Amino acid sequence: MYRLDHLSKVFDGGVVAVNDVSLKIGTGERVAVIGPSGAGKTTLFRILNLTVRQTGGRLWIKDQEVTHLWGSPLRRMRRIIGTVYQQHNLVPRLRVVHNVLAGRLGDWSLWRALRSLIAPRREDARAAHQALSQVGIPEKLWARTDELSGGQQQRVAIARVLVQRPEVILADEPVSSVDPTLAQGIVNLLVELSGTFHTTLVMNLHSVDLALAYFPRVIGFRDGQVAFDRPSVEVTDDLLNALYAGGSGAVQDTTDTLNGSLSVRSYVPPPRSH
Amino acid sequence: MDPSPSAATFPRPDRTRALFPGLLSLCWLIAFVGSWHLAQVEPGLLFQAESRRNMAKFIAGMFPPELSGDFFRLLVGPALETIQISVMGTVLAIAIGLPLGLLGTASLTITGVLNEFELAGAPARRAARIVPYACARGLPSTFRCIPEFVWAFMFVRAVGLGPFPGVLAIGVAYGGMLGKVYSEILENQGMRGSEALQATGATRWKVLCYGLIPQALPQLVSYTLYRWECAVRASAILGFVGAGGLGQQIELSMRMFNFHEVVTLVLLLFLLVATVDFLSGTLRKAIA
Repeated sequence: MYRLDHLSKVFDGGVVAVNDVSLKIGTGERVAVIGPSGAGKTTLFRILNLTVRQTGGRLWIKDQEVTHLWGSPLRRMRRIIGTVYQQHNLVPRLRVVHNVLAGRLGDWSLWRALRSLIAPRREDARAAHQALSQVGIPEKLWARTDELSGGQQQRVAIARVLVQRPEVILADEPVSSVDPTLAQGIVNLLVELSGTFHTTLVMNLHSVDLALAYFPRVIGFRDGQVAFDRPSVEVTDDLLNALYAGGSGAVQDTTDTLNGSLSVRSYVPPPRSH
Repeated sequence: MDPSPSAATFPRPDRTRALFPGLLSLCWLIAFVGSWHLAQVEPGLLFQAESRRNMAKFIAGMFPPELSGDFFRLLVGPALETIQISVMGTVLAIAIGLPLGLLGTASLTITGVLNEFELAGAPARRAARIVPYACARGLPSTFRCIPEFVWAFMFVRAVGLGPFPGVLAIGVAYGGMLGKVYSEILENQGMRGSEALQATGATRWKVLCYGLIPQALPQLVSYTLYRWECAVRASAILGFVGAGGLGQQIELSMRMFNFHEVVTLVLLLFLLVATVDFLSGTLRKAIA
């Protein structure tokens, strides 16, 4: 699905967010990315969903080089990548149905999209309703999005990805703003969905427990680089301690450094039972 | 004895920042004193014998106000015309301002998350976007730098007397204002939703229709309604240069020294503007 070849991203201010990353992610694979805050995980995800362009190295998606894509080939490639964001990234003033059907925008003509905004077609509304049923809030179909709770909004965002039917789902900390029970539910849901539809799933996670429990492959990311890349059964406490130990040096920005050191202090390695 | 490290690093307020407001106040004072002289401000002039006589004549002429049915029937047309000029002028202003506003929204055309991928390392493509952007920013400034009164004066010369030059004047002058404010409103919207829409493979137009515009709609509509209020007031003034409406009647009555008609006209105008203010105020509150 993905091939990264010496991929780097240096921001205009000179901050190195992603530093010489090479790896492959196979079709249908489930991969968790873990690591301290400020390690560059979100930037990596924004490169992978073609929002940000890398400054060095090359990126292939489905054996096609995407570095210099633009216009409609770029949009076609984006269309097969579904993204779930940390802050759900919905349009608050729209009804839930439109936020869900926004997953179809890559397929629709502008005319069709505008007509749907006035009155969605029956079959589209039904598809949105079905997607919302899968995430457990079918009754919210016609509600205004900003009237929903944070957890419900995150589920609307997942319904949007369901309607999009992507070939790969990128989830960037999808559960960091919801309570632990719901977090597990959402991760479980995404994992099940990727299984049902044979979708590749790459998820960025704060919770090491969830990563190890649900993902066969875990990538430790630190200072913009891959610290380790292993089957989850081979991830040891030593690896985790090394991943989270000390300050993060990747991002020099003060706020991010602060976040990095905070997460190190509050991090407690999970008890491992073998 | 060394000062403790915490005392040494204790942040001090920035003195230069405190200096700035002081300097500004001084400049303001100098400007005030200078203007007093240069603008020939002489309050005494208001109370000289001749001024008093003229004012008394003007005020005495206002009474009794012209309230006959015939006169009011005569005013129905111009009053409606004033409203029509303001509505058509505002519609024309939207037609001019919206495309300019969209082109002039940097977050839509050249900067930020919607353009990052495509414009990174593509200076030619970037330049091709910057030119229309700069035009869409520059053109509205020209439009709104020239007051609607002056526009009306020119359009009356071009298309003749009547309401149409008034419509054109409001359309062009306010089109410039709407264009500028529309792009500012759109640029101030959060881009999270739009980023997600783009990531599904949506085109810029779709991101605009599903993300930016729904998000900014209350502000866009509210400002447009406010401009319509202003257009009602302006369309009265525009009549003075022959662009129709109540203003033209006011100018006629003034010229004939029929001050009792002027006072009725001004009251009518006041009523009209107050009604429109109230209407658009209620609408704006309903949308927000």
